Amino acid sequence: MDALEAALDMIWPRRLARYSGWAMIAPAILLVGILVLGLVQIAEGSLHTLDRSTFLPSEEYTLANYQTIIDSTTYWRVLWRSLLGAGLTVFFTLLLALPYSYIMVRTSSATIRKSLLVVLFLPFFIGQVVRAYGILIVLGTSGAVNDVLGLFGVEPLRLLFNFPAVVFGLVQYMLPFSVLLLAPALTAIPRETETAASSLGANWLQSFWHVVIPMAKPGLVGAGLVVGTLSLTDFAMPAMLGGGSQDFIANAIYDQFFRTADQGLGAALALLLVALGSVIAGVVIAIFGAGTLGMGGRK
Amino acid sequence: MKQGAPAETSREKSEIKRPVAVRARDLTMDFGDGAPAVDRASFDLETGRFLTILGPSGSGKTTLLRMIAGFQKPTSGEITVNGHAVDATPPHRRSVGMVFQRLALFPHMTAAENVAFPLKMRRYDPRSVPGRVRDFLDLVKLGDYGERRINELSGGQQQRVAIARALVFEPELLLLDEPLAALDRKLREEMQLEFRRIQHELGVTTINVTHDQREALVVSDDIIVMDGGRIQQHARPVELYRMPENTFVAGFLGVSTFVAGTAFPGGLKSGDLHLSGTHAGEIAEGTPVRGAIRAEQIRIVAAPDSLATCDTAFPSRILDVIFEGERLLYVAESDRLPGVAFQVYHHDTEAFDLYEIGAQVTIGWNARDMKIFKSTA
Repeated sequence: MDALEAALDMIWPRRLARYSGWAMIAPAILLVGILVLGLVQIAEGSLHTLDRSTFLPSEEYTLANYQTIIDSTTYWRVLWRSLLGAGLTVFFTLLLALPYSYIMVRTSSATIRKSLLVVLFLPFFIGQVVRAYGILIVLGTSGAVNDVLGLFGVEPLRLLFNFPAVVFGLVQYMLPFSVLLLAPALTAIPRETETAASSLGANWLQSFWHVVIPMAKPGLVGAGLVVGTLSLTDFAMPAMLGGGSQDFIANAIYDQFFRTADQGLGAALALLLVALGSVIAGVVIAIFGAGTLGMGGRK
Repeated sequence: MKQGAPAETSREKSEIKRPVAVRARDLTMDFGDGAPAVDRASFDLETGRFLTILGPSGSGKTTLLRMIAGFQKPTSGEITVNGHAVDATPPHRRSVGMVFQRLALFPHMTAAENVAFPLKMRRYDPRSVPGRVRDFLDLVKLGDYGERRINELSGGQQQRVAIARALVFEPELLLLDEPLAALDRKLREEMQLEFRRIQHELGVTTINVTHDQREALVVSDDIIVMDGGRIQQHARPVELYRMPENTFVAGFLGVSTFVAGTAFPGGLKSGDLHLSGTHAGEIAEGTPVRGAIRAEQIRIVAAPDSLATCDTAFPSRILDVIFEGERLLYVAESDRLPGVAFQVYHHDTEAFDLYEIGAQVTIGWNARDMKIFKSTA
């Protein structure tokens, strides 16, 4: 033990003890720093337009890329689609995740709890792309859903490559995240509080509405924020389930970087996405307090 | 409500026969993990009385309360409240106000909103709600605190909000599930008297659960002592203290010394020593018994002569002296009763600290003060 302490003393002398905290978060700061460096570079890139004759970025600084985005109806549509898609995803995900995590937390049967957890984690082992592919198969014109509908004499429906399909895919993708974020918030509500509500005359629905949901608000806001920002920036679901017709911002960025090679415009779009996400997160935290993410920002 | 007549407590009124509010018959709760949590509990509680269910943890007292509240369905037996069987009624349809162990206040609401909650749920006329909330906040002396959030209130104030919330819809029955257990002693004693005051003012039939014997004696009209899921004794506080029916009750309330022996007329025999005592019920001579004598019933003197009036007296030696503030607790042993440490309370207004460890003394008591029970095991 003494030898161990002596060795430690050589690597990290005792007088440096008050900097220990900084040393611990140094790796994290380094990682964020790299991210910021990249952002600065992207910001710089967004200020050059693409010279179509040489396919090189222009020398002079200009805001032309941002002007292009503002003037373009396509990008406005992509922006609104992303926001609407993210919003709807948040709504439906929370709607489904709340009862799911509630049952998971409150059930007295260990078997039910374990099954719910397994079902929840299973999709984590399957990548997003594979899952989207699975949805393609199930919802395809000759997929399982259309087969079942066929039994009732319904003509095959076009269930894919439209906006609802993208939202469906996103909800399916986000559900485990939001359940995992909601479960601790619901666990923190003492069972006795609900018992009290029922003794005071609330049926289970009233108790859920007046007691459980308000008390789970931090978890709901946190889950909503995570699901919202992840959906807003999602790439795979719109790409695969939207079939090119339902692009989100990330898809537009991808196209600029890797298809048209207009890195300046792509960079401008990317910065816009970062700004949008930051503003939304900032507003949500300003309204509900940092405590909503379990950081105890509020007393 | 009954101003100017503070002497008229329900302890005195208890002589009048009143209608039964709660009737429990053979209530059993068996969780299927060994002995039943509550085993055939039966009792009657008259309207307007304050009943305390007293017992150590694991005695089944909370389970019994939860069955009365409707949170737990009894395995068998039945409960009637004001003559109606309530077994099939879900908790939110019952007229039962409950104060919970951890209070279970709603932290996202103000004190007034907490109190208004049951009125909203029970569809009271919205115009009547604010006035009613104010009345009940006044009742618990929180008139000026309605707009405070729960976390802005002290522990005692939170208790009061919980009481107001449980009473504001004027339930037929008030249940208290050890709400005072977490408070420090001074606040706990203050709240005990508050419970009693409010209960008198409203006259609401109340069932309180606690493991604190002092609280039970202070606040109750009736006490049920439970152990191992069974009701050990159901009596008024004074009766319970003076006339315990078995060794458990004798040991749970107050400080008692137990002496094992065999019964003989007028007391028990331990070795060659005859100790005077009173048999609890019919006990045949020679039956193994245990005698219980309370610490305050044993007299302790230096000279044997001054205990001439005691039915039993014998020499002992002081083993320990414990200072408890308002009195001393002597631990004494007699050579003639090896292994029995007598606990003796001593309070003398003239000379406080009379004996030191090792001092030779005489201890004694009267026959009526030692209760003799059949040995259970």
